[in-house]
Amino acid sequence: MSLCWRIAREEWRLWLRSRVVIFAALIVAVLIAATSVLTVNRVSAEQSQRVEQQSAAEETFFAQPDRHPHRMVHYGHYAFRPPPPLAVFEPGVDAVTGQSIFLEGHRQNTAMFADTKAAADLGGFAALTPANLYQLLMPLLLIVLGHAMFLRERESGTLAVLLAQGLSGTQLAAGKALALIAVIAIFMLPLVFIAAFSVTLGESAIAAASIVAGYFVYLCIWGALVLAASILLTQRAVSLGALIFVWLFAALIVPRFAIDASSAAIDAPGKIESDLAMLAEQRKLGDGHNAADPAFVLLQKQVLEQYDAETIEELPINWRGVVASYSEAELTDLLNSYAEERMELEASQSNMFNLFGIASPTIAISSASRTLAGTDLATHHRFLREAEQLRFDFVQGLNQAHIDELDYTLDINRNNGEAAGQAARVNAKAWRVLDEFRFEADSAGDRLQRATSSLFILLGWLVIASGVVILAARKVRV
Amino acid sequence: MIRSITREARFLARDRGALFWLALAFLLSIVAVSFGIAEVREQRETIATLIEEDAADRANALAGHEDWGSAAYYAFHLTYAPPSQFAFAALGQRDSKSWKHRVRMLALEGQINEADTRNADFGLVGRFDFAFLAASVAPLLLILLLYDLRASERMMRRHDLLVATAGSKGSLWLPRALVRVAALALLLLLPLWLGAFVEGAGFGMTLQASAIVIGSLLIWWLIIELVGRIDASPSVLLTSLVGVWLALAIVIPAISKASIEAANPVPDGGEILLLQRETVNDAWDLPKVATMEPFVERHPEYGDHAEIGEMGFEWKWYYAFQQAGDQAAEPLVQQYRAARLQRDQDAALASLLSPPSLVERSFERLADTDTLSMIAYEDSVRAYHGELRAFYYPLMFPEEPFDRELLEALPAYSPKR
Repeated sequence: MSLCWRIAREEWRLWLRSRVVIFAALIVAVLIAATSVLTVNRVSAEQSQRVEQQSAAEETFFAQPDRHPHRMVHYGHYAFRPPPPLAVFEPGVDAVTGQSIFLEGHRQNTAMFADTKAAADLGGFAALTPANLYQLLMPLLLIVLGHAMFLRERESGTLAVLLAQGLSGTQLAAGKALALIAVIAIFMLPLVFIAAFSVTLGESAIAAASIVAGYFVYLCIWGALVLAASILLTQRAVSLGALIFVWLFAALIVPRFAIDASSAAIDAPGKIESDLAMLAEQRKLGDGHNAADPAFVLLQKQVLEQYDAETIEELPINWRGVVASYSEAELTDLLNSYAEERMELEASQSNMFNLFGIASPTIAISSASRTLAGTDLATHHRFLREAEQLRFDFVQGLNQAHIDELDYTLDINRNNGEAAGQAARVNAKAWRVLDEFRFEADSAGDRLQRATSSLFILLGWLVIASGVVILAARKVRV
Repeated sequence: MIRSITREARFLARDRGALFWLALAFLLSIVAVSFGIAEVREQRETIATLIEEDAADRANALAGHEDWGSAAYYAFHLTYAPPSQFAFAALGQRDSKSWKHRVRMLALEGQINEADTRNADFGLVGRFDFAFLAASVAPLLLILLLYDLRASERMMRRHDLLVATAGSKGSLWLPRALVRVAALALLLLLPLWLGAFVEGAGFGMTLQASAIVIGSLLIWWLIIELVGRIDASPSVLLTSLVGVWLALAIVIPAISKASIEAANPVPDGGEILLLQRETVNDAWDLPKVATMEPFVERHPEYGDHAEIGEMGFEWKWYYAFQQAGDQAAEPLVQQYRAARLQRDQDAALASLLSPPSLVERSFERLADTDTLSMIAYEDSVRAYHGELRAFYYPLMFPEEPFDRELLEALPAYSPKR
């Protein structure tokens, strides 16, 4: 073991003497530090801003005066999605999806005003985050540091001497690996700090530790690939060229290829497209504003029987409210079935994308990292579902107030002058049906479970890459 | 010169490493162009379906109503920006920004910001289109092709001999590099030309695109040539070149983007929506005069028809306060639009420092998939919404009797081409 240490220490001594290595390492370190500080500040500001906006929206809703309850259905409400604590490291899809939704009766709106809508367009790599620095730049640094670490001994003839002294190829490779792992460990420090910081923001320690572990495995995969190339290839330039090719492939080409492939393979309709398909069906349901619509005849019969009444005027409840509540429920079922289908198709596109992790560890770590941070597509979809639940609940709560607290006769006369309008109102206390909404990331356990396949792919990569190193090291001859 | 070029071409034909990079470039270009064409075809198909369904839905909606107000309330109109003939080469902003809407005559600010975008992962990772290949991957391939021209001869210890026996330096290295640059450019561009032909993109546009690719390769050749003069081992040269690539493709764009966005803050989009909503909702509780007065200020031609009884509900008043909502949000909307334009203008300037950004932006410009095109599309939706108002107001305000035949003349959205 002490032999390994000696080999590793020797490697470090050489690195510290190389200006190229020092320069590259410094640049990466500065970039990581600067990006981390910027991202932490930006995301924390957004976090507190959105939490404030959410409670401000609730207070405004509660502060509305006495009104006709259906006015409040259209007045609507907002749902905001604050970034989860680990978004300071991995903002994920947050920049692309909007983070607030307007909620109102009879409609499901989209999340609006994504950051990318107003972003300065400088090409594909301009949106730097600590996460993509780790995904893209750290492998390059390891390549620069390690592409010649083994074959250097071959080039300078020291390999023969070392082997003659009884050192095995495996021991030598282990020493070199140790040196690389030390580099990786040092460069993991910023990530460890950010993860610890996210724990102080309320992130679960398990999720934070898993993300650190995931990146450690990812960088070790690259370390192993680099070491394998430097054992198997005999010329520096060839080793470097081959590794840069692998990086180009894994980090730049395969991820975008995978996006195009999953987009071409699975056709997920947009919202307008599925809305139009749905509208045809919706027309059969009737318009919730018009209680005389033929679609409500059956409902009227049932309600009259239930209350043993002859006409709707005799009902102890407000018939218009009943219609509004009934059609909102029907419509929501329909809207949800289409929304679910759309989200499922999108999820299967993303699953297909994740499968490409088998061809590129960069895909595997990036999807694991988004999932563990709670900034993946699945979390956005859950936000959409929860916002929809919030919408449905307050709309139906208001419709219930319409049914119970507003007299039918007063209601149908609401447009006959100021006084009649005043009379057709319910007390503002009824607005309390709105639930408090605080969107939070899934529990660490759920996120880990969702990230399992990506994490297993990463482990598979690590096993194969280290396997190649071990096999290659065993066969080392001069 | 011709002789030395044919000589170098023969050398290249035997250089397996170089052939590998060239074949890879060709293959990637084919993949990028095919994916691009598949995507724009899918988008066109989607639009064709939407146009059909939208017309059917509108016909149905209009059939059920007997007054101008309800017709305008229930009839939605599709607006869209079809992909241009060159969009297959640069899908640009089409994944992260919305290029289709369905609008009606209600307050526009509540509708135009709807984001019917694709899977968020697409916008996050980006596509493998030709613009990305030409902007970011091609320079790396060129680096791998050229970095060891001199250094490999040094390694073989032939460098000094070659230099001494060649007539001039130019006649030795220039043809050698030129053959490789030309081969790379040709292999990248061949699939693009084919794609442009299939998609019917104009000759002039294809020529411009080719010039961008060749220009960018020439710039990178110059960079490689300058770095290659350093008397260092091939691996140090390659490391430095990759470092230069990193600086130009990632670091400079990232710093520019961060500083441009910090220097030009955009108003919070949510505020636009909030202001518009609050104005529209408040109007229900205000005396109707309070809505109609500012409306008549903007539309004096309806001054004689703006008397609304305080009793009952009138569509005129309803649409007047919808417009009041848009008017209230106007300053914020202008600010938002101006900030986006300013950011884009600054980004155009900053991209002069980064060849990859410049190539990507130029391709998006050619393909009408850049920020300006997306803003132009939004402007056309605004203009169309204005046409809808201009159609209905003269019928609704003077209370012309409802005539279904007049609805035949409803303005139809036509994308600018």
